[in-house]
Amino acid sequence: MRDLLGDDTRPATRFLISDQYTPYDNDISLQAPSEALITSLEIMAGDVADRLVADVARRDAIVPCTPTGPGDTDCLRQFTEEWVARAFRRPLAPDEVDAFLGLQAFATEDNAYVAADFYTGVNLIVRTVLQHPDFLYRIELGERTDSDGVLALNDYEVATRLSYLLWATLPDDALRADAAAGSLTTAQGRRAAAERMLDDDRAKLQMRRFHALWLGHRILPQSAQLVSAFVQETGALIDRVIFDEPQSYYGLFTMRETYVDNFLADHYGMPRPAGGAGWVAYDDPMRGGILSHGTVLAAFAKFADTSPTQRGIMIRTRLMCEEIAPPPPTVDTDDAPGDAEAVCKFERYSQHREAPGCAACHDGMDPIGFGLENYDMQGRYREHDEGLPECVIDGSGALPSGLGTFSGPSQLADRLIENGYVESCVMQQFYQYALGREVDDIEQPVVDQLVEDFRAGGHDIRQLLLGFVTSERFAHRRELRISP
Amino acid sequence: MTKISRRTLLRGLGGAVVGLPILEVMLDSHGERLVEASAGSMPTRYALLFAGQALGGDNYEQNASRIAGTSFTEDGHFIAPPQQGTGYDITTPLQPLADLALVGDYSIVSNMRIPFNATNADGGAVPSGGAFRDFHGGGCSPLLSGTRSTAASFTCNGPTSDQIIAQMCAGETTHRDLVLRAQVPFYLTGYDHSGRQYISYTGAGSSGRVEAQTSPRNAYMALFGSFVPPDDLEAQAILDFNLRSRRSVLDLVGTSRQRLVNNVGSFDQQRLERHFDEIRDLELRLAATPPDATGECQKPADPGQDPAVGGDNPGSGSDDITSPSTGYSGEHERARVMCDLIHMAFVCDLTRVATLQITAFQSHMSALAVSQTLGYAFYADLHELGHNGDVNNRGQKAVSLMLQWHISHYAYLLDKLKNTPEGAGNALDNSVIVFMNEAGHGLQLNDASSLWQTHSVQNMCMLIGGRAGGLTPGRHIRTSGAHPAQALISAMRAAGNPGDTLGEVTGIIPELFG
Repeated sequence: MRDLLGDDTRPATRFLISDQYTPYDNDISLQAPSEALITSLEIMAGDVADRLVADVARRDAIVPCTPTGPGDTDCLRQFTEEWVARAFRRPLAPDEVDAFLGLQAFATEDNAYVAADFYTGVNLIVRTVLQHPDFLYRIELGERTDSDGVLALNDYEVATRLSYLLWATLPDDALRADAAAGSLTTAQGRRAAAERMLDDDRAKLQMRRFHALWLGHRILPQSAQLVSAFVQETGALIDRVIFDEPQSYYGLFTMRETYVDNFLADHYGMPRPAGGAGWVAYDDPMRGGILSHGTVLAAFAKFADTSPTQRGIMIRTRLMCEEIAPPPPTVDTDDAPGDAEAVCKFERYSQHREAPGCAACHDGMDPIGFGLENYDMQGRYREHDEGLPECVIDGSGALPSGLGTFSGPSQLADRLIENGYVESCVMQQFYQYALGREVDDIEQPVVDQLVEDFRAGGHDIRQLLLGFVTSERFAHRRELRISP
Repeated sequence: MTKISRRTLLRGLGGAVVGLPILEVMLDSHGERLVEASAGSMPTRYALLFAGQALGGDNYEQNASRIAGTSFTEDGHFIAPPQQGTGYDITTPLQPLADLALVGDYSIVSNMRIPFNATNADGGAVPSGGAFRDFHGGGCSPLLSGTRSTAASFTCNGPTSDQIIAQMCAGETTHRDLVLRAQVPFYLTGYDHSGRQYISYTGAGSSGRVEAQTSPRNAYMALFGSFVPPDDLEAQAILDFNLRSRRSVLDLVGTSRQRLVNNVGSFDQQRLERHFDEIRDLELRLAATPPDATGECQKPADPGQDPAVGGDNPGSGSDDITSPSTGYSGEHERARVMCDLIHMAFVCDLTRVATLQITAFQSHMSALAVSQTLGYAFYADLHELGHNGDVNNRGQKAVSLMLQWHISHYAYLLDKLKNTPEGAGNALDNSVIVFMNEAGHGLQLNDASSLWQTHSVQNMCMLIGGRAGGLTPGRHIRTSGAHPAQALISAMRAAGNPGDTLGEVTGIIPELFG
């Protein structure tokens, strides 16, 4: 809406159902139209269109001609052919354009109470588009191929795929020109377009967004100032590793320095950066990479403290791509764990280790979290439990199944990398994000191949993305059957 | 003889026109309806207001509380009073009803419980109409639909009472139902509603969920956007133009139905079909003639823009809430406007069924802003208030004060209906208005052993207001462990539903009918 109409009021926030995170916010199986949604959408479309035509500057920015009068069909046709095509992300068929022009009857109506006005037609066309499935959904029709159930996308559908994958918005003029020229159905055409797109700041924002959803820091339970500093720190690392100094993606997990401003440096207890903001080397040997960042360490807290269990679940599910069974129903997860008499946190979690019904699962979670316990829920180093000097934190942790021991984020990252989890899991996660749903069995070999390519290419995300969009698969779709 | 316009007359004679208001001129001297051959009496309205909280605090008996740092024991805060029948002591949660002199207009049904299997927590071992042994989700289906839950998810396994009534009344009014929710986001950082935001189901499972309208302004526009003064010709002409153009827009959207639906896979097909169905239904609602603003049916005041949607709580919701502006989106104002809309939608006969989920299941709405209006300062969210509270505030009174806030909206709606003359009496005489909350206070559902827990489906209460269908309100009815669905079945009967079952539960609370 912002890109299409210059409307930055985010009008849909008033009624859209809140996103559900699985962990991504684009899971198609959770998005369904309803009476409440369609009712609200129609009201919003009216508000947005009324605001647009009342704002001469914004209106003139999208209407490419000056109308000669309310009934200027040529001008309305030109607007429809250009703007509606942009919103629909494809050219319109002549009969579709004519159908839109039918709304001009309201602009020219002889009505004692409503003045004839060319822009009434623009208003109604905008309303139509904002409620139209061709605008609201990314509908890929494609054409049948010789392979059963496989459809070839057309240039405009490929452009839309590229644009939402790399930029999270609709195609720009250059990409639409590529589509019109027919180049996006070729591998080299897609590569050229993607290279241009990856040099744009929108690609950086998209990668930051993917990581925030994946690692669970899209929202953090901390002050706005701290959250902003954390997000800047992590964003700088993602930008550096993927875009500014392209290198092995493992750098995201192993970087021995971090980007802080004075506020964040003071917060972490690090030396302040020269010039008030910049890269500062860690003097704490246990720190390294994104797992040392406040973004990651502040997420997954519970009971007003870090939760070794929740941190363990996060590592297992998000970074090792494993599933963890839900707790048995007789456990009330709203109650803090264990023995309330115990003073130290490690002792309070003893029930998880000792009760036979608990240990089977918790042995695979809590020891991971306890290996990060030296870092509090604001990412600061601590020697002992909050306010309890007698509870010295041991800080040693272990991955399940004998995958190794560690102390702190840096060694944890090393163990995950050595065991091949980072390279395979990030691909799994990115593919799920790109699809907007969970990867199914048929697609798993594709992910496995991507992991192979990722490894062969020295874990270069940029090359991997280019390879992904260049593949023949990217320009096709499969008929999907999943139950809602 | 009161003057009656030609337009009203035509509509009255038509009988089948939707959106027909109850016009005084069409009633006889006894206040009974004269026209509309099919209906012999006033339409009956059914509304259900829901609070996403329990009736007491963890590990605190019903007389034990801690407020402003002082622990004490004191009776009178648990919702159900010790006395039965009439003349009972007004408890803390019921105070808003007493303040508006509504004690004779509702009954309390107390000591209800949902059955569960205390010795076997498997999904297959849940008894008929019972709860899966995991709170919060396990209580949702039996409470709202009378159908057992077999898993922890917040999903009803059958239609809910309001939707059964809506089905019964379908086609009688412009709007089949009015499903509203005052709490907007979930507010717990890192989590989402995941089904806690539904109390209305047309059928079993997630596909049966009815999405609630959460924008008061959008609800207002949808219900009353077409109300203009009948004698204002200019306003009528502009309205006519606007409605025609909006319908043409919807019609144009609808023309792409075949092209799109026929060329996508089955999953997308379902979604697109639903989109186009809703577009078509909206077009029909816009085409329905709105009732004249006549008599008691008047366009409500424009609520203006919605209160801002607040951000998540800054922490886990206990002791770490420091500002009244996080974890809160003006739910108080939102709920009030929504009650105004339910009231007038009923009076104008725009719908006969409404639900208002004031707060979501397991609500993490901050209690701070609301508690401050009551003269307290609870630094906790609603859910945590029932568990750990903040360090100074927890237990029975803290929980009851928040319940009182929820019930203040119920009282507000009852009062508005009661003060709306209708026929020989008032609109509340032709309504049944239910107040329910999520949980009781007793044995914990999960471990089936801890006492005085919020995660309990024991000791549950409902308020059944109004006089529709022979209800005789004004009493405290202490049941001997009735299923809460039985209170709903009674309310459904009062609303004209002939059966005596809801899901797997059968039977009414006979004392509600005198």
